[in-house]
Amino acid sequence: MNAFRAWMEERLGLGAVTGFLEKKEVPRHGHTVLYYTGSSILLFLGIQIATGVLLAFYYRPTLAEANASVARIATEIPLGWLVRSVHSWSATLMIAAVFIHLLGISFSKAYRKPREATWLTGVLLLGVALAFGFTGYLLPWDELSLAATKVGTNLPKAIPIVGTWLTRVMRAGDDVTGDTLSRFFIVHVSVLPLTILALLGAHLFLVQRHGMSVPLAEERKGVKGPVLPFWPNFAYREAAVWLILLGTLLTVAVVFAPGLGSKADLMAPAPEGIKPEWYFLFMFQTLKLFPAKVLGLNGELVAVLVMAVGMGLFALLPFIDTRPAERKGRIITALIWVGVAYALGMSIWSLL
Amino acid sequence: MNGRRRTASVLMAAILLSMLLAGVFEARAQEAAKAQAGQTAITAPKEGSAVPPRPPKERMGVAVLLAWVWLSIAVLIGILRLRVREADRVFRMGLHKTGHNISGAAGD
Repeated sequence: MNAFRAWMEERLGLGAVTGFLEKKEVPRHGHTVLYYTGSSILLFLGIQIATGVLLAFYYRPTLAEANASVARIATEIPLGWLVRSVHSWSATLMIAAVFIHLLGISFSKAYRKPREATWLTGVLLLGVALAFGFTGYLLPWDELSLAATKVGTNLPKAIPIVGTWLTRVMRAGDDVTGDTLSRFFIVHVSVLPLTILALLGAHLFLVQRHGMSVPLAEERKGVKGPVLPFWPNFAYREAAVWLILLGTLLTVAVVFAPGLGSKADLMAPAPEGIKPEWYFLFMFQTLKLFPAKVLGLNGELVAVLVMAVGMGLFALLPFIDTRPAERKGRIITALIWVGVAYALGMSIWSLL
Repeated sequence: MNGRRRTASVLMAAILLSMLLAGVFEARAQEAAKAQAGQTAITAPKEGSAVPPRPPKERMGVAVLLAWVWLSIAVLIGILRLRVREADRVFRMGLHKTGHNISGAAGD
C-alpha cells in the first residue's frame, strides 16, 4: 500500500492537496450548517452528470423519436424509470440547495470584501442551473413541455431591439419546432455542462483562496472563534449529510417518479392551466398580474424589465452593500427578506 | 315628517340591500358560467398517462432495495459518528498536529 502511495505521489504530487486539506479549517459557529449546502450542490451535480450520461445512451433528440425514447427509458430499459426519476429529482433538489446556499450567503453577508468574485460566480452558477432546468424541461417532448417552452421562449420578445432576435436564437427559428428540441438538447448536454464546470472551477478556487467566510455577526465580536479541521472532522460530518441526502433523493425518486404526457402536437392549441417548474413560478405569476399597458408601455415589457433589474441588483449585491455592518446593510437585509417573501407568496398564489 | 324620513330610509336601505343581493347573485351566476366553461376547455394534460404501471416484481425489488439503502445509511452514519467523536477528541487534545495524516491511519 505504501509502495503504491509513493508511486502515485511521485507521478501526481497529491501531497500538496492533502497537505492543504489537513491545514484547512472550518469556522465553528451558530450557522456552520450553511457550509453543508455548498457540498450538497456538488453531490447533486455529480448525480446529475452520472444519470444524464446514462439517459443520453437511449434518448433520441428528434421530433419523431424524443417522446417515444423517453417512454422506452421509462418502461423498457431496466431501471430506466429510476435513473430518469433520480435525474429529475436531483435537478430539483440541486436548485433548491443553490437557493438556500445563496440566501444563506446573503443573510450572513458572506459576499463582503474580498469575496465579491466568489458571489458573482455563484450567481452565474444559479443562472446556469436554471438554464439546465429550462432546457431539460422540453426534452420529453410532451404537450406540457412544448406549451411551457413556447411561453418561456416568448418572453424575450418583449425586450426592445434584441428581443425578437433572442427568441429566434432560442427557438432556432420563429416557432418551437424539432430544431428547437435539437438545440435545447445540445445546450443541455454540452454547452451548459462545460459552462458549469468552468464556473464551478473558478468558484471553488475562489472559495479555497479566501477560505470559508465567517458571518458578519460573528466577525464583529472581534475574537477568533473556534474552528474545526476540514480533514477529517468536517469531512466525516459532510459524508453523513451526503448519505442522508442520497437516501432522501432515492426515496423521493422511487415514490414520486415523474410521468410522461402524450407526444407534443405542434398544431394543437396550448392547453389551459400550464405551469412552469416551481422555481419559475414567481416570475410566471408576476407576468400574469401585470396589466396589458402600464403608463402607455407594453405591460409584459415592464414586467420583464422590472424582473431583470431585480436580478441585476441581486447579482451586484456585494458592490451595493458596501457597508454591511451599518444601517445600509440592515436595510438591504430587510429588502432581501421582502424579496424572499414576495417570491414565496407569488409561487404559492400561482399554485392555488 | 319623521314618518316620511323613516319611510325614505327604509326604502333606501331596501334598494341598497336589493342591489347588494343582486350583485351577489350576479357574481355567483358569472362564477358558475366560468366554471362550466372551464370544464369544457382544454385543461393541462396530466403527466404519467403514457407510462404504464411497473410490474409488481420490480416494484417489490425496488422497495427492498430502498430498505437496504436506508439500513446501510444508518450503519454508515453510526460508524461516521464514532469516527467524528474520535477525530474531535484527537483535535481537542491537540494530537492532530502530530502524526495524524490525511489517510486517517497514523501507522500505515
